[in-house]
Amino acid sequence: MKKPWAVFKREYLQAVRKKSFLIMTVLTPFLFGALMIIPSALAVKGVGEKTVAVVDGTGRLAAAVAEGLRAAPADDPGKDAAGSLERPGRGRRATLPGNVRAEYVSAAGRDPKEAARPYLDRLHSEKAGERLDGVFIVPGKAFEDPSLTLTYYSRSSTDLIVQERLGRVVNRALERERLTGRGLNPAEIDALLRDLHVDAVQLTKGGEEKAGGEMNFLAGFVFVLLIFIPVLIYGQEVMRGIIQEKTDRVVEILISSMTPFELLSGKILGMAAVGLTQIAIWVAMGGAFAAWGATAAAAAGVNLGQFLRPTLAVWFLVFFVLGYLINVCIYAVGGSIVNSEKEAQQVLGPVIIVMMLPWFLVMPIIMNPDSTLSTVLSLIPVYTPITMFIRILVSEPPLWQVGLSVVLAAATILGFFWVTAKIFRLGLLAYGKRPTIPELWRWLKVA
Amino acid sequence: MSVILSVRDVAKSFGDVKAVDGVSFDLRPGTITGLLGRNGAGKTTTLRMINGIFFPDRGEIRLFGGDSKDARDRVGYLPEERGLYKKMKVLELLLFLAEIKGRASAAMKGAAEKWLKRFELWDRKDVKLEELSKGNQQKVQLIGALLHDPEILILDEPMAGLDPVNVVLVRRLLLELKAEGKTILLSTHQMAEAEKLAEEIVLIHHGKVVLGGSLAEVRASSGKSAVHVDFEGDGAYLPTLSGVAGGRVDTNHAELALAAGADPQALLRSAMERLAIRRFEVVEPSLEEIFIEKVGESTLEAERTAAA
Repeated sequence: MKKPWAVFKREYLQAVRKKSFLIMTVLTPFLFGALMIIPSALAVKGVGEKTVAVVDGTGRLAAAVAEGLRAAPADDPGKDAAGSLERPGRGRRATLPGNVRAEYVSAAGRDPKEAARPYLDRLHSEKAGERLDGVFIVPGKAFEDPSLTLTYYSRSSTDLIVQERLGRVVNRALERERLTGRGLNPAEIDALLRDLHVDAVQLTKGGEEKAGGEMNFLAGFVFVLLIFIPVLIYGQEVMRGIIQEKTDRVVEILISSMTPFELLSGKILGMAAVGLTQIAIWVAMGGAFAAWGATAAAAAGVNLGQFLRPTLAVWFLVFFVLGYLINVCIYAVGGSIVNSEKEAQQVLGPVIIVMMLPWFLVMPIIMNPDSTLSTVLSLIPVYTPITMFIRILVSEPPLWQVGLSVVLAAATILGFFWVTAKIFRLGLLAYGKRPTIPELWRWLKVA
Repeated sequence: MSVILSVRDVAKSFGDVKAVDGVSFDLRPGTITGLLGRNGAGKTTTLRMINGIFFPDRGEIRLFGGDSKDARDRVGYLPEERGLYKKMKVLELLLFLAEIKGRASAAMKGAAEKWLKRFELWDRKDVKLEELSKGNQQKVQLIGALLHDPEILILDEPMAGLDPVNVVLVRRLLLELKAEGKTILLSTHQMAEAEKLAEEIVLIHHGKVVLGGSLAEVRASSGKSAVHVDFEGDGAYLPTLSGVAGGRVDTNHAELALAAGADPQALLRSAMERLAIRRFEVVEPSLEEIFIEKVGESTLEAERTAAA
């Protein structure tokens, strides 16, 4: 055990003492924060000011449009409190543009298309005051003929949020008008059309009730990133280290002193310790922020405590280590068979994309944690760490599945260690020449 | 005669190139053996196999009789090219190297200090390797090979990159280590160096051992030894003595070529029976001459033909 320990110590100290480690450790949380805050801030502030013209062929929607745009959030009261990134009580959804100003044009008795013509021209007007972001056309017989369509013209084909919102406003108005036609008074209609807010609650097997909803998405992403980032950074680092040892020929000294298994276990575990150290520092740094965040979240009615359960911390550690080791082994194999970093990128590129699969599937996995897709992915060892962790985070997968996935992943890691050590050992024989796949296979069998 | 390292019929090919093709030799404890050969003869590949870096395609290598569990820890290895972590500090690296040979780094600090001082590197102990000159890196590498006090030292071109003062320093050190009972195997293509250090020679060429044995045996076997004799009396019969392949006799001086394997001492005794010997000198060919005779003739011949 002495020799792996010597390697472990060396790898750890060399990595932790580097300036880049310090810089990465300090800067990453800030970059992270910026990445999360800037887009939502932009969505609220920057994109918010939109001016559209509503050309109404029926001539009866003036009040509905004016009121609907002003009080749009009233459509789903309560959701804001939990979902908004802003402080509660402002009554505005962060995910929607802050403000849509509508110029109402009554085109009663006229062809709304004709009436809209001057406004459509203004879509591409150069003058700032005149310029419109969109034109919404309601056909004249909208109240009578349900087969008609509303049309939204805009400069960009992806102005979905405004389109959605105007559509809802107009449809609500249509509902009201139809009901008024049946002899109901406006007060009754309001009462009839009132939506109830849906409160998302996760009921655990133990009968505990936990708040569900959007915070779970956020937590899922944060944890996935916490698993992924160190893997990407230190996987590369391990690979670079191995390539460096080969080019510097240190490897001759190492291999003449210990077995490849001893060398690789010391190396990979040393780097894992570096990653864990970094995360521990981030957690500590996050502590202060979280204390502040928790107060804010509590004010917003979100119970952050449910994401910081001790069991979750244990699972995080387990899946972090598993995910880390699996990925690093892959990088180590890469480092063993190539002779330069450039070559390594070519060889590993496709492999990394395959490994990243769960990252692209985070959304469906979070939304359907117990689906067949999620279950299958969580039992495939290379995907276990992220998928199973997400499932544990947002749901309660059967314990046997969790156990099985951990056992499978651990077995895979041992297998990877073994294969990596072999390939590493034999890769040395190919000094200066990248082995072909048949050669690799032969090496595995020989040693 | 005990054997501390035995290499038996070892071969290694890289693709179609037979780098080493059936090499055998033994190391006796407490000797310095020179592994000689031209560039590309297979010296480094042989040393790498001894150190477990390459697996031989066939043959067997036994260290310490083959049943020592910590055999690798009892060997010190100086690779041909520098094999050092460039970003590490000198002392830190040396302690790491001792540690992977199974020594506790705390216990090695004293030894490391002793060696660094001896090699005039103590004041640079906290300097990164990449900031040292090539010669100094070579010295650090050498300290790394012997810091853990190995019984066998395997040195691949130990003098490469050293200035003459350091060459003397290292030569003295190697002789000292030998006196302490260490066994040393060193590869070199500098014959003069080998002649000063080695008592055993293994000459390989195209992956095969073409000559092996003690320096004296090797010289004797070359068949190029000569005897210069100054005498008083009638020496005309000298070339007819057994062991003499031929020669030229003047009034008081004879130069005799020895037959292969002949014993000059026996010749001296026979000569003394009838002549008063004033001077008797065995003129042995230098290792370089033997080397060129064994492995270089064809190349030099080809060159001569090409020039002509």
